[in-house]
Amino acid sequence: MSQYLFQQLVNGLSLGSLYALIAIGFSMIYGIVRLINFAHGDVVMVGAFASLAMVQAGVPWSMVAMLALVIGAAAGMTIEAAVFRPMRGASQVTGFIATLAVSVLIQNGALLLLSGQQRTFQFPAFMRQRVSLGGVSASMTDVAIIVLAVVLIAVLLFVVYRTRLGTAMRATSENLLAARLMGVPVNRTILAAFGMGSALAGIAGLMWGGKFGQIDPLMGAAPGLKAFIACVIGGVGSIGGALLGGYLLGMAEVLFVGLLPPEYASYRDTFVFLLLIVILLVKPSGLFMRHVEERA
Amino acid sequence: MNAPLLAIEGLNLRRGATHVLHDLTLDIRRGEIVALIGANGAGKSSTLQAISGLLRPLSGRIAFDGPDGAIDLTRLAPEAIVRAGVVHCPEGRQIFRSLTVRENLMMGAYPRTDRENLPAELDRVHELFPILAERAKLAAGSLSGGEQMMLAMGRSLLSKPVLLLLDEPSLGLAPQYIERIFDVIEQLRSQGATILLIEQNAAMALEIADRGYVLEHGRITLTGTGADLARNDEVRRAYLGDLG
Ligand SMILES: Nc1ncnc2c1ncn2[C@@H]1O[C@H](COP(=O)(O)OP(=O)(O)OP(=O)(O)O)[C@@H](O)[C@H]1O
Ligand SMILES: [Mg+2]
Repeated sequence: MSQYLFQQLVNGLSLGSLYALIAIGFSMIYGIVRLINFAHGDVVMVGAFASLAMVQAGVPWSMVAMLALVIGAAAGMTIEAAVFRPMRGASQVTGFIATLAVSVLIQNGALLLLSGQQRTFQFPAFMRQRVSLGGVSASMTDVAIIVLAVVLIAVLLFVVYRTRLGTAMRATSENLLAARLMGVPVNRTILAAFGMGSALAGIAGLMWGGKFGQIDPLMGAAPGLKAFIACVIGGVGSIGGALLGGYLLGMAEVLFVGLLPPEYASYRDTFVFLLLIVILLVKPSGLFMRHVEERA
Repeated sequence: MNAPLLAIEGLNLRRGATHVLHDLTLDIRRGEIVALIGANGAGKSSTLQAISGLLRPLSGRIAFDGPDGAIDLTRLAPEAIVRAGVVHCPEGRQIFRSLTVRENLMMGAYPRTDRENLPAELDRVHELFPILAERAKLAAGSLSGGEQMMLAMGRSLLSKPVLLLLDEPSLGLAPQYIERIFDVIEQLRSQGATILLIEQNAAMALEIADRGYVLEHGRITLTGTGADLARNDEVRRAYLGDLG
């Protein structure tokens, strides 16, 4: 394989890993409360700034990664307890407006606290090296993102599909009333889903910062939107769909930039939205869903 | 001296703008099958939902004298009510279609702490409904209507009911499944289970029931043994399709 192709592949996979991590959380949350969490991208921002603060305070990197998960989880669980829980059973429109408000609140709170200035976010030197693998090479950062994402996704899938808590989450997502009749404490289960999904967003914030080198209080908009698109590609509410959608979107974006002449590179997001519109027109239930199951 | 297992007293319930239950009073003794019959919209399902905590009544008491002592269910959340031993097998089955058959059964066992007994009880449910063992790994949504009903009942049994609330278990099922479901209800009774049964099929319900209540527009209008009610002229005309 040529270095050029390999580089594109690694780029696509690492970008796709970030999208997938964020999209999975987004999808878990939508699946269980049937509301789009517009503040999910802002949890990514919170994860990035919390990581930066910890690094500046001298916390070792491995600890920073662990704490980014914890802080992301705490942010998501706070949003659930403070906003989503009181809205339980309200109409979709009400929920839509409330979560939009949370997003605006978090962004403006961050602007007040941190100013709109861009901050440099730098991974330690060893992460910025290149690793060679038989004739081709990739940046350590990208490799680390890809590997870490695979591990986290594997753990998440295990919890969701192989544990009692995960089974209760899937049952609650499908039929909340029936889950209550089975004795599932649904509020606690929903809280756990927010915690798990937002933990992934929190650590994605750390990786996003490290990959792109800069963070700012409004940085959550892009990952939030991309996660949403990834979910639409894969089928909203399905974890597997979010996963595939995330990687597909990452690869497609990189291919678009890599294959077309450089003057088109700035149309990358135009291309992404075009893709979204086409999918919504042609297969609104997502590329990987056979049909949309209505909630009982 | 022997308090009923469940005693509902003066229950009033509102749903939206409708007052659906009026001073409902009803009791169930240990080991009984009690049938609750009534026309569409009479308030049968609402009664069960009030017992299992899904609906909060305006007033009234639902006293349950279970293994943990006497408690008022109107004060408890649904998850606490299941733990106390009151298990509601809801109208329309409400199985988890995207979960496997086995996962659905394990959801029934969700709140139990005596997990060491589960394998034996799972075997017992599989004996009652062998099809559930055959289809264990399939998505529950792929089962036929009758099989889904068996799954819903198996799931309820794994919740270890002291009192089982069954909402129209025969609705929409082929005759051979209906018979099967009623066989199982009989079998449960012979093992000492206590059941509150709602049925469209009033004839079958009254035949199997020790006692019955007739609910009209949210009020109990008649009560008696299953046999008495089945002979009652009004009941025959209104619920047993007897035009004579
Ligand atoms: N979700 C709801 N919101 C408001 N009112 C409801 C709701 N569900 C039922 N009702 C009303 O409550 C009353 C009792 O309904 P319920 O479902 O308890 O009757 P039912 O006896 O179980 O009838 P069926 O035989 O059709 O199952 C009806 O007047 C019905 O219109
Ligand atoms: Mg009903």
